[in-house]
Amino acid sequence: MLFKALLLVLAIIQISAEEYDTAILPEAYIDAAERSTHTNNWAVLVDASRFWFNYRHVANVLSIYRSVKRLGIPDSQIILMIADDMACNARNPRPGQVYNNANQHINVYGDDVEVDYRGYEVTVENFVRLLTGRTQNGTARSKKLLSDAGSNVLIYLTGHGGDGFLKFQDSEEITSQELADGIQQMWEKKRYNELFFMVDTCQAASLYEKFISPNVLAVASSLVGEDSLSHHVDPSIGVYMIDRYTYYALEFLEKVQPFSKRTIGEFLQVCPKRVCISTVGVRKDLYRRDPMKVPIIDFFGAIRPTRVSTGRINVTLANEEDFTDVAHIQPKKQFKIVVQPQFIAKINK
Amino acid sequence: MLAELTLTLLLLLSPLALGQTQIHQFQYQTDEQFHEELVVRPLAGDHVNTYFQFTTRWHYGVHKNLYHTQLTPRVIAEILQTYDVRELHIGLTQGLWRYETWGYPIVEATGGAELWAWFSSPNLTDDSVNNQWMRLANVFSGILCASLNFVDNTNSIAPKHIFRPQFMESGHRSQQFVRYATLPREIVCTENLTPWKKLLPCGSASGLATLLNSGYVHNTKYHSLGVKVRTLCDSDDPNNCIVELTQTANLVYDLKLLEQSNTDFSLRRLFGMGLNGYCEMANSSKIYVQRNEQGERFQLTPPPQEEVLSKVGGHSVLFGVYDIQQQFEGPGARLFNIAWLGPKGNSKREHMSPPPLYAHRYLLGNGQKHGRIATEVTNTHYEPLPVVLMELVPWYVHAYLHTLRISSKPQHLYEYTTNELKYSLLHYAPGKQRVLPTHLEIGFMLPARSSALITIEVDYLLLKWLEYPPDANHGHYIGSAVISSQLPIGRNYTALPLEGYLFQDSFNASRTAYMLTLRTEALIVSLPTPDFSMPYNVICLACTVVALAFGPIHSVATKLIIVERQTTIPRNLLRKIVHKLTTRFSRRPANSAVNEQQNDEQNGKGKEKEKKKEQEKKQLDQTENKKFCDKQAHM
Repeated sequence: MLFKALLLVLAIIQISAEEYDTAILPEAYIDAAERSTHTNNWAVLVDASRFWFNYRHVANVLSIYRSVKRLGIPDSQIILMIADDMACNARNPRPGQVYNNANQHINVYGDDVEVDYRGYEVTVENFVRLLTGRTQNGTARSKKLLSDAGSNVLIYLTGHGGDGFLKFQDSEEITSQELADGIQQMWEKKRYNELFFMVDTCQAASLYEKFISPNVLAVASSLVGEDSLSHHVDPSIGVYMIDRYTYYALEFLEKVQPFSKRTIGEFLQVCPKRVCISTVGVRKDLYRRDPMKVPIIDFFGAIRPTRVSTGRINVTLANEEDFTDVAHIQPKKQFKIVVQPQFIAKINK
Repeated sequence: MLAELTLTLLLLLSPLALGQTQIHQFQYQTDEQFHEELVVRPLAGDHVNTYFQFTTRWHYGVHKNLYHTQLTPRVIAEILQTYDVRELHIGLTQGLWRYETWGYPIVEATGGAELWAWFSSPNLTDDSVNNQWMRLANVFSGILCASLNFVDNTNSIAPKHIFRPQFMESGHRSQQFVRYATLPREIVCTENLTPWKKLLPCGSASGLATLLNSGYVHNTKYHSLGVKVRTLCDSDDPNNCIVELTQTANLVYDLKLLEQSNTDFSLRRLFGMGLNGYCEMANSSKIYVQRNEQGERFQLTPPPQEEVLSKVGGHSVLFGVYDIQQQFEGPGARLFNIAWLGPKGNSKREHMSPPPLYAHRYLLGNGQKHGRIATEVTNTHYEPLPVVLMELVPWYVHAYLHTLRISSKPQHLYEYTTNELKYSLLHYAPGKQRVLPTHLEIGFMLPARSSALITIEVDYLLLKWLEYPPDANHGHYIGSAVISSQLPIGRNYTALPLEGYLFQDSFNASRTAYMLTLRTEALIVSLPTPDFSMPYNVICLACTVVALAFGPIHSVATKLIIVERQTTIPRNLLRKIVHKLTTRFSRRPANSAVNEQQNDEQNGKGKEKEKKKEQEKKQLDQTENKKFCDKQAHM
């Protein structure tokens, strides 16, 4: 907080140092900056199930991906894990498209998507390594969760689960204890400021039961002993489209705009039992703020108030030689391109 | 915190950025070039091949490092510096190129992911190259959203003969290393196309790249994305180099799948939209349309601005050229569309003669233990052709060199004769379980108008439990074989000459021989796969058996059997009293119902009544016996 305040003051000083009358930051910006407890947003979205009949889980995770991307989290700060390819699956009659609805309302896959972990890469090991920041040497930057003490992290999991576990690819499981340990390690390593844990699976509430880390708000699609149900089937592809909880969550998120006044508290109530059939479980005891006062954008968006200045500001750059005038750049000498023979002559005998 | 900084920086830098734009444009003309090209070739059987090529060429030298790029993506420049890469090829492909009907593609690719790279730098060793190769693959797994991070030493080889460097080094030549790997299982979808487009100077905002929309790229029969990077240095001057980045997208549309009655098509029909302009950063932006062969039957609207006749190796191709920059020059330019109007009525389409050389591959043998990999190469040319074949067999398939056979047959025969072809070149690096793949390269002369069948016997390994993927029953892949040859004629040959970098460089590029590389089909083998639910079944079954056996044995072993006299106390109150009295007086145990029966008989009652009573008694006895049993069981 102190560092942030200092930076803010610095920014104001720097700008007011210029001879400008518009140098004062807008009121709304200072307000927003003072109210927010975080500096950046990250999202870890995981679909843990493989095979075509789990189409709905891919639709689930892509729904959340679509929403966080629309609300401003850049692709570099979204870690998307999808265990199987549905969009270009040979069984998909609409290649490159994944819908949330049989009437094809929203193409949740879209035209601009970056999947960071896919197929066989989606394993419990990789997921725990990602959370705890212990990725293997040489892992690409886009496959790392580079969050810090000022990050609000959204973790969304979907797949097939049971009491105290979530299956990955139908071949391994992550237990609730492993999850709780992973998140505790994140807290100890200062990898998050606040964490919103969302899970859509059967007996989902069992997954957050073991959490002990502070500043964690958790929501689950069903209580222990309950199944999470899917929404509807699309006869043209022969499988269920999406799960109930995520369907209604997406419906809610579609109405949220950047700078929206909607709160996380409202989001926690998106799926009442009458539509979800399962009971949505919420765990608030680790979270110190009142969810009804926390804007939903704190977890699902990353829009920061910005102001565009049209006036001229003179600055001195540190590396002036980088921006020297280009008059002395002369066209290079052309040379003949000779590539060595591409076929070995030995055979021609 | 970041936000505040961003704001400050924005405020500080925005006017400066405006000032720099003009200077940049000047630099583009001298230093870096960008060209975008689209080639449309109608193919036999209602197929259309569209080939996009985006070339970024950066002539650098004065720069001390490669980090200050303008049109070239920085990541490409960075890998050249960090990993000593001189040449890099990446292909992400879905579908199979049909050589026999479509001829040769402009850029070769195999299904799934394929990459190979040349490393060169003083102080490089084999081990350090292995390390850099893996890290390079990791970098591109992040950039292209593909699982290229699965490339490691267990599936990579160093090809010996088949790949030659296409880069140029200056002065003293240091040792050159090559690494090659394929991931045949890799799926290609929008998530690969999106980052691929982001490498372009204009992204998907303008230019020919706007035509590449995911919905219209992935409904094709064949789509292949390629990235090729190479460095070319003046042999005399190490400070005079070119970095060349070529991004290609090769698509084959099936007009029948576009749901239309006739064979007419247009850019809008193929890509979902017309062209909205050219990339402002591009030096040239052109569309080439093949007018002869299969393209002959179409009429073009609007007609091309010019036509170019290209003669390559005694074979001529006519191209219509559209210069998009000219097209959008004047005011009032709008969406640009080209329509191909086919002949009316069901006209006879000429069939394409098969290309001089093509190949197929398949598996022989049955069962999940042994098999034979067979590769069939056919030469339809009237002269013998030299052929080099490279096989990369993964470690879970064990190949035996002594079983390698090359049998041949004249093209018109159906069966292979017993006479074997002699190979003039052989390179074999045996595989090692879980460590190295088998690497085989053979070179031989393939006689005129004949086929060669190269077979090698293999064993399939039984993997360890955790080595099976989650979908083990899908099967395991063996990547495609790479075949290279040298063609004396230019028929069906469309590849770019290595000295050039634009599609127009292939016009009239006659050479003494044409280097050809082919990829065969990838194979899928079903390794012996255990029933993974077996342990569960065994546990269930064993538990049931134990439970069933345990109950009776336990009860037999622990129950104490007590023989107790059977009570015959009647229910009737009056009779009870009588019964008690009789037992008291007689002082001997009331023995059984038989006594009473006898008593009844003695009483001399009706026979029917007797029977009824008898039944009642029996029932009564049974119930009492049951109670008795229960008591025993609870003990």
